[in-house]
Amino acid sequence: MDPFLLEALLNGVLLGGVFALPVLGLNLVFGVVDVVWLCYAELVMVGMYAVWFLHVQMGWPLALAFVTCLPILAALGLLLHLLVVRPLLAAPPINQVLATGGVLFVLQGAATLVFSTDFRSLGVEMPPMELGEVFVSGTKLAAFVAALLGAAALWAFLKFTYVGTAIRAIARDREVMPLMGVDPKRIYLIASAVGGGLAGLAACLLVVQLDVHPFVGLSFGPITFMICVMGGLGNMLGGFLAAFLMGLIVSTGGFWWNTEMSYVVAFLFFILVIFLRPQGLFAR
Amino acid sequence: MRINGTTTRRDLVRAGAAAGLAATVPAQARAQGARVDPLRVGVMTDLSGPFAGAGSQPLFWGAEVAIEMFNERGGVDGRQIQAVTADSQSRTETAINEAERLLGQERVEVVTGIYSSAHAVPLAQRFEQARKIMWITSAIATAVVKDKNFRYVFRPTVHSEQYGEGSVSMIHEHAQAKLGMPPERVKLAVIYEDGPYGTGVASAIEANAKSRNMPIVLKEAYSASAPDLSTLVTKLRRERPDVVLQVGYNPDITLFLRQAKSGGLRFRMMIGHGAGWSQIDRLSETFGADVNHFCNVDPAGTQMLDWTKLGPGVSDLAKAFVERFQAKHRLRDLPPHASMGFNNTWIFLNDVLAPAVRKTGGMAADALREAALAVDIPVGGTIQGYGVKFHPPGHPMAGQNERSIAVVMQFEDAKAKVIWPTAIAGGPPVLPLPPTHSFALRS
Repeated sequence: MDPFLLEALLNGVLLGGVFALPVLGLNLVFGVVDVVWLCYAELVMVGMYAVWFLHVQMGWPLALAFVTCLPILAALGLLLHLLVVRPLLAAPPINQVLATGGVLFVLQGAATLVFSTDFRSLGVEMPPMELGEVFVSGTKLAAFVAALLGAAALWAFLKFTYVGTAIRAIARDREVMPLMGVDPKRIYLIASAVGGGLAGLAACLLVVQLDVHPFVGLSFGPITFMICVMGGLGNMLGGFLAAFLMGLIVSTGGFWWNTEMSYVVAFLFFILVIFLRPQGLFAR
Repeated sequence: MRINGTTTRRDLVRAGAAAGLAATVPAQARAQGARVDPLRVGVMTDLSGPFAGAGSQPLFWGAEVAIEMFNERGGVDGRQIQAVTADSQSRTETAINEAERLLGQERVEVVTGIYSSAHAVPLAQRFEQARKIMWITSAIATAVVKDKNFRYVFRPTVHSEQYGEGSVSMIHEHAQAKLGMPPERVKLAVIYEDGPYGTGVASAIEANAKSRNMPIVLKEAYSASAPDLSTLVTKLRRERPDVVLQVGYNPDITLFLRQAKSGGLRFRMMIGHGAGWSQIDRLSETFGADVNHFCNVDPAGTQMLDWTKLGPGVSDLAKAFVERFQAKHRLRDLPPHASMGFNNTWIFLNDVLAPAVRKTGGMAADALREAALAVDIPVGGTIQGYGVKFHPPGHPMAGQNERSIAVVMQFEDAKAKVIWPTAIAGGPPVLPLPPTHSFALRS
């Protein structure tokens, strides 16, 4: 096999791992609360700034900055739910989308005012793995492994804990579960905190790969939403698989044609999916 | 825009910019303002969004210093310059809306600035239609003015065809002596952002390489906001270019360099072409020694030039600008955009606005246009070394400064020095990258 094609395929898989975490977080929140957090990529941006600030400005060890980022983002997820989403739960979906879209601009503007438009770098890099002609980025590989571990932890939480079971149950039928003793308000709060925490984990993985700036969400936000829709909004396994599919389409499209064309192919595929399976590629 | 008394993000940025510029007007002049109408000049740059960090912010700062110093020196016979600022937010639609506001509500006769070629292309049409002056201080795509025969659009700075000539000529000139191979064997790869700026410079590189029989092994565009460029790195490794030429903003440049390093890409030289590549301070902060000896094409930052070779009074102006800018912003090395913002704004104020006001008593766009077409500054007459004379209407490049000069500079310990054209170079280039360099080819 052409080693460069093999490298492109590996790049696609690793890229899918990077997309997967924000997709899981977004799907979790949508599946449970039934509200799209349009500002999800900006939450990730806040997490990236948190890691950068704690590590570079405050001199904290990187691992400690990572660990601290998760509860900060979980709290932010909670706040977002309490201050913006909960008051609009009964409102038409367009109001909810506009409200979380407004938060997107607030977060971008706040980051601009606090951190300016400068690009901030963590200055962390890991040596690449060299397998003959094939190079694998150490940073991306570590991020990929962390993404898989994060996804596995989320799966275990949803599968084996009482709260996780309640979350899944609410996601399946939000009308009936309150009659069976599940408090949806509490579940919404927990799902929002976990969704925020996943944004924090995604921030930890992205901050070692991308510079932080107030508009970094534009780099991966739109594609994250596209993957969610492609996998089926609210369908976590579908979103997870769609993330890898998208990573491979972008990567091999770039290899066989060119980088620009790879996104054209990805968007064409997305449009095709929307036409043929509007409920999502992996919806049951 | 103000809705129900609330302040929007745009208001905040605009207010901050306006406050900064208002503070530049001396107290005496402010007092006089009640008696003498100020001369209102639109200044549009990207103060937020990705372009701000890729050179538009220092472009604005440079313009700010120019207006400040011009006002301190008395303005135009006591009439002060009042900047009417606009933040185009790195978005073309915002740039168009802000231009409409400046022309329609603020009723300015001229707008200076314009960082991005993607903004400049539609704006130029609008200004021409409105018969108001668009004075471009940064956007460099040749396509902005070529074959358009604009009468109200002026660009004192360089254009993209000169970038391609600079990088390719430098390699061609030094290939045999420095790389030990004839230029026809030096393999080039061109990667570029897919807007008018990247496309324009990439086409110029291709045309220049073709005319010199230098092979291009890969020419590929990408979106400046792409989240991943690792496959592009893989393809570059497959093609094994000697020289990689990149045209980008930011964060695509940092993303590419990071992924190039982790992807094992190596080459004899990397040459950037302005925009994000001209933010030397930031690149050095992010990559340290990894960007040492990389090259960049852009108009020279004034601090890179030998001021003794500039015209009478110009070196004093350059010195005053550098001191003022450094005192305000404390960068290790001034990005070329700071000089571009200052120089091209100063040319407008000193050589276009002042004569037009003195001649007509006002600053109507047609008077400014007439004054602009009469500008005749010899080489060495501006702080960036180039002269100014605009191609007249009817010329394929009408409105473009025919005396603009792009240079190739090389980074060394977070500073840039000019290495091409050889006549004004501060020394020979380091070529190829030294063997100890992270990106140097392995022997």
